[in-house]
Amino acid sequence: MKKNFSLIGKNIIRQDGLEKVTGQAKFADDYTFANQLTAVMVRVPVAHATINAIDYAAIENDPALTAIVDATDIPGAKKIGAIRQDQPIFAYDKICTHGDVVAMLVGESHDALLALRDKIKIDYTELPVLSDRTKALDKDAPIIHEQYENNEIVHYPLRKGDVETGFKNSDHIIEQTYTTPLIEHGYIEPEAVTAILREGNKGVQIIGSIQNPHTTQNVVAAVLGWPLAKVRIQQAELGGSFGGKDDTMNVLSARAAVAALKTGRPVKIRYNREDSILESYKRHPYTMHYKVGFNNDGKLQAMKIDIIADGGAYSSMSPFVTWRTVVQATGPYEVENVWTDVRAVYTNNPYTGAFRGFGSPQPIFAQESLMDEIAVRLNMTPDEIRRINGFKAGSVTASNQVLKDHDVNLLTVMDTAIEKSAFRKKWRANRQNNLAKEKSFTIDEENLFLNKDDFVDPQNVIKRGIGLAVSFRGSSLGAEGIDAAAAYLSVQKDGSAYLLCGLAENGQGLRTTYSIITAEVLGMDIENIFYLEQDTGLIADSGPTVASRSTIMGGGAVKDAADKIRKRLEDILKPEWKLTDSDELVFKNNKVQNPKNKSQEMRFGDLCKLANSKGVSLSVIGWNKGPDVGWEEETGQGDAYFTYVYGCQLAEVAVNTVTGEVAVERIIAVHDPGTVINKMGAEGQVYGGVTQGAGFGLWEEISTHEGMPRELNLDEYLVPTSKDIGEIIPIFVEGKDKYGPWGAKSLGEPTLELTAAAIANAISNATGKRFFNLPLNLEELLLNRKLHKEDLQRGSL
Amino acid sequence: MIPELQFSRPKTIREALNLLATPGQNNRILAGGTDVITGIQMGSKRFSRIDLLIDINQIPELKTITENKAHIIIGGNVTFTELIENPIARQKLPLLVKAASTVGNLQIRNRATLTGNFVNNAPCADSVPPLLVYDALIKIESQNSGRELPLQDFLTGTYKTLIKPNELVTEIRIPKADTELRGDFYKLGRRKSVAISRISLAVLAQIEEDKIKEIRIASGAVTPIGERFPDLEKWANGQKISDELLKLLAKKMAEKITKANGLRWSSTYKIPVLQQTFYQLLKKVTD
Repeated sequence: MKKNFSLIGKNIIRQDGLEKVTGQAKFADDYTFANQLTAVMVRVPVAHATINAIDYAAIENDPALTAIVDATDIPGAKKIGAIRQDQPIFAYDKICTHGDVVAMLVGESHDALLALRDKIKIDYTELPVLSDRTKALDKDAPIIHEQYENNEIVHYPLRKGDVETGFKNSDHIIEQTYTTPLIEHGYIEPEAVTAILREGNKGVQIIGSIQNPHTTQNVVAAVLGWPLAKVRIQQAELGGSFGGKDDTMNVLSARAAVAALKTGRPVKIRYNREDSILESYKRHPYTMHYKVGFNNDGKLQAMKIDIIADGGAYSSMSPFVTWRTVVQATGPYEVENVWTDVRAVYTNNPYTGAFRGFGSPQPIFAQESLMDEIAVRLNMTPDEIRRINGFKAGSVTASNQVLKDHDVNLLTVMDTAIEKSAFRKKWRANRQNNLAKEKSFTIDEENLFLNKDDFVDPQNVIKRGIGLAVSFRGSSLGAEGIDAAAAYLSVQKDGSAYLLCGLAENGQGLRTTYSIITAEVLGMDIENIFYLEQDTGLIADSGPTVASRSTIMGGGAVKDAADKIRKRLEDILKPEWKLTDSDELVFKNNKVQNPKNKSQEMRFGDLCKLANSKGVSLSVIGWNKGPDVGWEEETGQGDAYFTYVYGCQLAEVAVNTVTGEVAVERIIAVHDPGTVINKMGAEGQVYGGVTQGAGFGLWEEISTHEGMPRELNLDEYLVPTSKDIGEIIPIFVEGKDKYGPWGAKSLGEPTLELTAAAIANAISNATGKRFFNLPLNLEELLLNRKLHKEDLQRGSL
Repeated sequence: MIPELQFSRPKTIREALNLLATPGQNNRILAGGTDVITGIQMGSKRFSRIDLLIDINQIPELKTITENKAHIIIGGNVTFTELIENPIARQKLPLLVKAASTVGNLQIRNRATLTGNFVNNAPCADSVPPLLVYDALIKIESQNSGRELPLQDFLTGTYKTLIKPNELVTEIRIPKADTELRGDFYKLGRRKSVAISRISLAVLAQIEEDKIKEIRIASGAVTPIGERFPDLEKWANGQKISDELLKLLAKKMAEKITKANGLRWSSTYKIPVLQQTFYQLLKKVTD
């Protein structure tokens, strides 16, 4: 039975909405300080080289220059990294990728510093460039980091059952290779950060477009060789992140801090789009080889998966990203025999790290394409093959985890989506249609001039398709690391409150979510909750704001804080009203009431005043630690995550068969995120995630030339506009779970991870052809490959 | 970065022409700024070392769209949005209005100007193919003289035109057709908005019964600049419309473009797709 909530599940307008639409919100670049200096980065125009010497003689005495800051100015760690410390704050021995920065010029005028930059003489020796991830582990591959014996960053094996026997017992075997490209986050606000020395011995304060203030604090303290508490990180309003303002911002914050120490003045680093795309990390390109064995009845027998992820120049989050991949690589399907190898490797390409989805959109594209191919082979519909193999309550995952203690809603979300769209009928009709008609237009690269028969009749140009994709996704960090979060709630004597959680607002709306949770527990007006600034000095390290863990983990901590306050208030009130401990009180509409005797009623503010007069503290720290999870490194077996969420997205497309254009006409997105806290916020997640997922499917790609990104701005790197996506219909199936506040779990990343796969399946339904390499852009549809300019020259220059 | 430069905002054409005539310095016109400002920001050689930037946005004379017996006259600083919203243009220049509607996005169309589009003369300039099939003329003025010439002659190469440093394009004059012409504009972009043309095509034809009496064809983005195809037009004029003819016309255009420009990195895609989309467009116009 559903609880009778006052606020949970309703549409609540975001707390920060007004300040953002009126332009009052302060983003990182909106902060300026007296005597502030600016900085420009010094780079070397190659992807791989040893640095022999840097000669600053030509600029050293220039009045425009306050300081040159490089690795020699770093008092502490010169290289950083979550697992491997392989990424330099300033490159000093070698260049591993084009984004590397060897030094930073600091002064008052940005333009003057830019002019000086060209006068620096850098003596370097070029090294062979490794840009092909599939060659990174070859014996003769250039080694990117000498301290490691080869270019392997990490290797995750998963071994379950016996795949060879599984294949032997299969009626059919399909083998395919899929690739996905390098993807830029494309947050609208490029990076900005200012470091300010605090007076006396108080250390440094940093304000920036920072996703994870406590991670930044750790990095800056390590680089300065200071205690953590001497470094205070404050998050400005964030103009988008999507996982992208982590490592890059840690490095920039450290550079700004080193420069502030050297000059004694505030130093701001502010990137333009080109700097941002050149240096910031991206989504891992994957090459995925899948071999699957299955029987005539549709039952999967065995899967063998070999995945190479391009980690680029630095390890960054690769060990975590690819771990999620190994857990979820077989998709939400029961497979008894599994042999998976996932490797992340170094190359000289831009480095890759966290990005909404985090190692799931890539394998979902592969495994969901494959499931549709199996369905077609067996003359089944896509939903049938998934119904046969999809997870149900008690199913066992590839890592031998039994799915229990929550609603395993995979088939429920799928059935909801297909009922909403008359999926089977449309899928069969489209398929018959494309089989009946003459085959689609394909380009003959040997002869670009068309024969009479090659021209397509106008009425046959557009073909429609429908496709779906399903997924399961582990909530929060799982066996990646420690999973705990803190919240601070301080209720004032008039009943208004300060609130803050250790997980940071990234634009996803968590401040509103946490305020709703607090207001629901205490029955108070949400307008009376005032969210504090994100500052490492004010709240405990709660781990990073990643992995769609804010609601389940941070929400749990907030609810714990609110529950604690409620308990204290009840403990005061019950004796006053001569009630026993077991009597229930209702906190609602800014009042507290005894439901059995409605004359016993008190305003929430009066109760807080009463608590204050009795010397009872209404300031608490809430804490939420995730349950134990486990992972066996050698075999990839264990209870990877403590709970899971399920989703199904269904895409309807119109394919222009002579140009390769794909119009996304409708996406139905059915998700089980557990209990929905803010319906408006949840729907917003779906609209954004679907649009980003469609971008991954159809348009977005950073191509590189000898490791150098070609698309350095948003005129060439194409993210979908509002005109490119048709109707998006979000539907929530709210499964029960014992974890999370009232069973609220995760939604942010599931909304993105499915869209490309659903669109790819819809395109196949429309055209009768399968595509294996994202993005499915104009050239891919007609040529089965991408076309790129040979060089990096822009015509308009 | 934006370098230090002089900036002025004349109120009349005369004032602007006088400023343009200032000797010994590099003067540039600023209309919508969507090429000039981004070009300066990117460090483009085409926009380097500007001494004086002359903002023509305070000159009302350049903002009008009028017609007389023989011409529709568009002022030299009319934005795409102004063009799209203008009743005369909507009624009499449907191809141009359609092309204008595909430029950039609303914010860009609110600033960018028709004249700026062809003075910049990028291969992908969306307004050029329709202006070419409309046989547009342009009026250019300088402090001491003026001239009028066909747009086709004015456009000389990629990012190149006949404009001299002291000149301003003050008018676009489009001759009114004395017979009924049917036509359409087609653009292929990678997105539905803020998309640079991969292929653009304009066709204007006079069709009598089942014959092409006269056809005008122009392309953009598949040629170094937007251009007309006089040989093809001549070949097609007077021919009986058939599916076969239209396919052949499409193929001939592709052959001509390939012969003139050779194969580029994008040709493998563009050449076949050009034929398909031109055929689709011809079908639509002749249907």
